[in-house]
Amino acid sequence: MDELLQALVEGILIGSTYGLIALGMGLVYGVSGIVNFAHGDFILLGMYMCLGLYSALTLDPYVSLIITLPAMTVVGALVYRFVIRPIASHHLLMVVQLTLGLTLVIQSGLLMVFGGQGQRTPSFVEAKLFVVGDIVMRGPHVIACTISFALAGVLFVILRSTDVGRSIRAVHQNARAAALMGIDVGRVQTIAFAIGIGILAIAAALLAPGASIQPSDGLRYTVITLLVIVLGGMTNFVGIMLGGLIIGCSEALGTVYLSETLGGLLPYAIFVSIMLFRPRGLTWGTS
Amino acid sequence: MMRAELWKTLRSPLLWVVFAIAALGPLEMSSYYLHVATLALIYVALCSAWNIVGGIGGQISLGHSLFVGAGSLLASALLLKLGINMWVGMLIAAVLSGALGAVIAWIDFRFRLGHLSFALITLAFAEMAEIVAIGWDFVGGASGLLLPRDTGDFFAFQFGGGRGSYWAALTVAAICVLANLAILNAPLGYWLRCIRDNEDAARAIGVGVLRTKMLAMVISAMLTSIVGTVYARYLAFVDPYQLVSPLITIEIVLFATVGGLGSAFGPALGAVVLLPLGEILRGKLGGVLPGLHAFVYGLIVIATIMLSPRGLLPLFSSWLGGKAAPESKAPA
Repeated sequence: MDELLQALVEGILIGSTYGLIALGMGLVYGVSGIVNFAHGDFILLGMYMCLGLYSALTLDPYVSLIITLPAMTVVGALVYRFVIRPIASHHLLMVVQLTLGLTLVIQSGLLMVFGGQGQRTPSFVEAKLFVVGDIVMRGPHVIACTISFALAGVLFVILRSTDVGRSIRAVHQNARAAALMGIDVGRVQTIAFAIGIGILAIAAALLAPGASIQPSDGLRYTVITLLVIVLGGMTNFVGIMLGGLIIGCSEALGTVYLSETLGGLLPYAIFVSIMLFRPRGLTWGTS
Repeated sequence: MMRAELWKTLRSPLLWVVFAIAALGPLEMSSYYLHVATLALIYVALCSAWNIVGGIGGQISLGHSLFVGAGSLLASALLLKLGINMWVGMLIAAVLSGALGAVIAWIDFRFRLGHLSFALITLAFAEMAEIVAIGWDFVGGASGLLLPRDTGDFFAFQFGGGRGSYWAALTVAAICVLANLAILNAPLGYWLRCIRDNEDAARAIGVGVLRTKMLAMVISAMLTSIVGTVYARYLAFVDPYQLVSPLITIEIVLFATVGGLGSAFGPALGAVVLLPLGEILRGKLGGVLPGLHAFVYGLIVIATIMLSPRGLLPLFSSWLGGKAAPESKAPA
């Protein structure tokens, strides 16, 4: 029983960050219909920036956000404006292949700069443990979970009640009508992409403390993000966070209760079975 | 009328000149370029087989590594563990892949999956297949399988390496491109494109959606599996991390899309251009700095897509003065 609770708690802690990562992709998909296969590699880019800042200036990952967050946001805006937008009106698959090209560039760029061996970024919270009853939680995970939910809430408020948020929602609902109402659709899409990548800078700082990273890990994060976002019904906030928790929990349960082989299968098996019963995702309520 | 188009393409002198150059090329090639050319032809075959479902039919399958894996691992395992002749093994794997393809197409139809859900479910199957293959000793597990030395015994599915393997790869590549041509000019091709552009409208005018999707997937899966067996024989070392990995599907989709989706020669062109480019970059830059060749390759892929967002084939045919084919509609 304790084992089950422990696994579920761990799943929820990591799943909330998956949800946050997928929110970034959902935001981009909602306004421009783009599926970014370099999503996971941008997370890795953020994590390696934390690593670089630690080795150069001994900055804690959380502190280095002061630098990585603006840097990643600007990178996101530039990439969208000058690379993705010129071909955004073409076949969906062509855009996906373009982001695959970005994947190659980011991944091998990181390989060239940092080398291929696994590396980790230390942090002051790394060794901290939170104990509730019989359940042990690692410090970075607790922080990641709290910030993920808080940030999801902030995003929700931004979308609901600021001008930028309203124009993002307008473009999401009907880009042509939004353009007729005087909204600069291209600008909104660039902003959404920049926010999406900025979220990844934060997620990277949350995931970085103590985690061993390799340049090739990006694809794993991309696949997880895709599973989560499809489960969540692409643009539904609540659905995506819920999808993150489901994938996180199935990963955690798989590692605790099943053999190495079967445990790895569990998230995919759960994904497929949910999709068969709810092919449009877990959507309910408003988007 | 429809067949007449097919015969016209088949009688085109350009096609035969290209084929003759491809067939006679190895007589003049060094072994390194022969290796690159053989790989390119195997990918021509894989991309063309994928194009039947992904390009003509617009069903973005990310699960084709399943079929490559079945063709390579299963046929090899049947030979090594049970002593079954590899030709028979190739057929068994192809039939199994076909059945698997039919099931996937049925799931797609039965649960009315959208494009992204279909892509992700096939990707999930592919990820699961890799985990299973690595944990399953019969197909070699994580350490893979080593096929016996290629002595050129045709009846044992051996082509003698070098030129022999090149011609074997050329044969499967030609078969897959021909299959594309035949399907594009047959009712199946018209139904598939109809479903791709508007599934509801296709249903309304009486296209058998389930039958069409299943048929296309079965043909594509069986061809892919056969190419997988040839690929395994050529590599001799059958590595699950290479052949059952979703990465191979990503490569296939990349080449096919950059070449030009939905046409008979576009995916082949993509493979002929991009695969040698990658291999030669690896050869020239691989030793300089790890990652440099993939970095340059990625930049070239991005530049290519930005310069020809409709694919390389429309770009080439407009250079040749031909009329560019109208772009297929992006799936929503």
